[in-house]
Amino acid sequence: MSETVLEVQNVTKMYGDFRAVDDISFSIPSGVIHGFLGPNGAGKTTTIRMILEILQPTEGSIQVFGAGALAVRERIGYLPEEKGLYKKMKAWAIIAYFATLKGMSRKDAKHRAYELLERYGLKDFADKKTEALSKGMGQKVQVLASIAHDPDLVILDEPFSGLDPVNQQVMEEIIRDMAGRDKTILFSTHVMQHAERLCDRILLIAGGKKIFDGSIAESKKSLPRRVRIETEDSIDSLAQIDGVVELRAIDGEGAPTEARVGPHWELLLGDQLDAQAILEACFAKSIRLKRFDQSDPTLHEVFVHLVGPEAREASYR
Amino acid sequence: MKYAFLVALREYADNAKTKGFWIGIFLFPIILTISITVPEYLEDATPTRHFVLIDQSGEFVEVIEGGLNKLHLIDVVKDMQKYVAKHAKKPEGQDTKIDLEDVPAIDSMEAKVDEYLRTLETGPMSELGDAELEAMKKQVAPLLEEGAPEFEKPSKKFKLVGVPTEIQEEIDAQTGPDAPVLTDSEKIDLISESLRPYLSGEKKITVDGEETELFAAVLIPKNIQDVIIRPGPKMLAIQDRAGIQFWCTNVADNDLKKEIERVVNKEIRSREYLAENLDSVKVNNIQNTRVPFASLNPRKERGKEEVSLADQIRQWAPVGFVYLLWIGIFTITQMLLNNTIEEKSNRIIEVLLSSVTARELMLGKLLGIAGVGLTMISAWMLSLVVVLTVKSGPESEFAVQLFEVLKTSGLLPKFAVYFLLGYLIYSGIFLAIGSVCNTLKDAQNLMGPVMLIMIIPLMTMMFIPRDPHGVLATVMSWIPIYSPFIMMNRAAADPPMFDLVGTFIMMVVTAAFVLWMTGKIFRTGILRSGQPPRIVEMFRWLKAPK
Repeated sequence: MSETVLEVQNVTKMYGDFRAVDDISFSIPSGVIHGFLGPNGAGKTTTIRMILEILQPTEGSIQVFGAGALAVRERIGYLPEEKGLYKKMKAWAIIAYFATLKGMSRKDAKHRAYELLERYGLKDFADKKTEALSKGMGQKVQVLASIAHDPDLVILDEPFSGLDPVNQQVMEEIIRDMAGRDKTILFSTHVMQHAERLCDRILLIAGGKKIFDGSIAESKKSLPRRVRIETEDSIDSLAQIDGVVELRAIDGEGAPTEARVGPHWELLLGDQLDAQAILEACFAKSIRLKRFDQSDPTLHEVFVHLVGPEAREASYR
Repeated sequence: MKYAFLVALREYADNAKTKGFWIGIFLFPIILTISITVPEYLEDATPTRHFVLIDQSGEFVEVIEGGLNKLHLIDVVKDMQKYVAKHAKKPEGQDTKIDLEDVPAIDSMEAKVDEYLRTLETGPMSELGDAELEAMKKQVAPLLEEGAPEFEKPSKKFKLVGVPTEIQEEIDAQTGPDAPVLTDSEKIDLISESLRPYLSGEKKITVDGEETELFAAVLIPKNIQDVIIRPGPKMLAIQDRAGIQFWCTNVADNDLKKEIERVVNKEIRSREYLAENLDSVKVNNIQNTRVPFASLNPRKERGKEEVSLADQIRQWAPVGFVYLLWIGIFTITQMLLNNTIEEKSNRIIEVLLSSVTARELMLGKLLGIAGVGLTMISAWMLSLVVVLTVKSGPESEFAVQLFEVLKTSGLLPKFAVYFLLGYLIYSGIFLAIGSVCNTLKDAQNLMGPVMLIMIIPLMTMMFIPRDPHGVLATVMSWIPIYSPFIMMNRAAADPPMFDLVGTFIMMVVTAAFVLWMTGKIFRTGILRSGQPPRIVEMFRWLKAPK
């Protein structure tokens, strides 16, 4: 079951002279949860719109289930980044309406709408106009509307933004549940924890270009292994160890600093060097450690590393 | 197409649920009913109006009373005709009531009244006596169906009443032994001053033991003979106030004023004839000689060319339709604009476009709103027919004639055609505006100039029927955005075939062009956020390939 769901080949989108998406290629196999990451203005939404055939690429080709998105619209579900609903429509009617636009019969769509609203705790609001719903509830209705026709590929643009922690949990469940039923999910997010928890693979773009495409484990390998230590003692001697690529000062949060005063340090290790050797060296040289940390880098660090300075903007969104 | 239909269905349901839609639907028959019923009602319900007459010259009381009797007689005859029309026998073997035009008895009655009025104009007319009324009733009796109620004489519209005591005292003081020395005009001024509170409603007069308002006061000065204006080389400059003064707060009801002016002038003139040694009866007869004068329309069937009420209606009914057309088109195109902007500002548009193409979406919206519009005008037309059917009858000649005109003139199908074409042209424009604006506020900025241009057919709609084939009408007919309105405006006057067919083709082409253009703008504009684009930018979109 590793059919290719989505195939993007050498896609470029120009707005006048501005290159919003620059020669991007990737493909998504069936049944995976694919994270779509990138700083603001990286071209994520434009790419998603092109996948959905809302926009036409300037160059390149996109195939969803081997065809154009509109030809297979009943197999695709889409939740846009900015959420909104018809204010005067009832919750069930909106879900049913979008489902019929995806090819469901009106009768089935209505039935399905009530079923979904009940399952996700909105039964009492099914017959309310959406203007009477809270923001979070409205968003939930929209999520349900995007998956009501049980699509094989769901594209979610920032599905977690605006949801409280409980509903973020619900959203995660929806995503996991769909993946469990062999559906393919492509979602964009700027919250790395979500991506790290949920994704099988990630696609990272910045400035319209593809930066990384692969599994999370692979993405972490793009960063050199590192050891973080906290000590008041001088550690210059550690830099002499064979295989230590770099010794740099960091602050308590892990960000590099200019002043080399400690007490936080980070050592980047070469491939052949074991972190254990650093620990042994510390003992040998009587460096008193307050903390020794050899955990893998977080996805956030990978992101910052791969995207570079642009990432700062993204992390403050 | 299936998806366009789904979009249309939602648009229809969404807009048909709005309050504005239902108000629009119900308001029209209500206004129509009111505008037919109220004049009728007012005519019947106007209470008797009381006025006082202070004639210091003492010469005109009889004359004015005679004039009032004439007004009353006319009312009685009118009511009598309505009464007969309502209760006339049905001709044997027919369901409908007789056509009163064909009944000689009515004609002869009208002629008699006419004659009666004319002969009596030689002197003040006396009040309609019971005997005369009985004679009239007898005349129409054979026309009536069985069980027709008794005819009720309408009450007098204007009634001369005695002067309030306070005023009488004022008058008495002016003529009493210790009266101050005053000129005639000063006397009149004093009287009118004391009448003021009665006329403005602050004080009431008492008539037959009941308090009521004083409608008017007529003041005739003692020296009325001296202020008569005589044309000629020695024409005197005399102020209007020096003559008869008519005091009244109601400026809309002129019947009393006109009648008094007429009878007094008539009296003055007959005195002049006498003074010149002319036989006033002869002069009067000569004044009433006339040639028959018929107003004919060459477009009408041979033998029926007389211009009638129906022709008047035929000429002016299109104005009503232009108004409906305008209201109809702009109500629904406004809906289109609002919905488009709602979808844009909510970004629902993105979800929609992931399911349907921009073309399907646009088509669906156009169809859905067209459905709303057709429902609305169908409801209007239906209520027009229903109200006219109910109201048609002897009480409302207007309703009967209007109904007849609608049935025979082809105005309704023309209305439907111009509505659709106008809708397509304007919906295109509004949809384009909606697609490039993110908020209603942006749209209103663009709408301002558009509205200024669009209001023009409303301003010209009263002038077009006066000269339906004139320069203004012809030129405006060929301006595509005005064409539906102006052609509707001209519809009853049989515009030349060239204009009729030519503008039709032009409107179809315009609609197609506007929709093509809108298609292009819509596709690009609908996803845009931020500032509305500049015009130049929009032109670039037009050139863009798919």
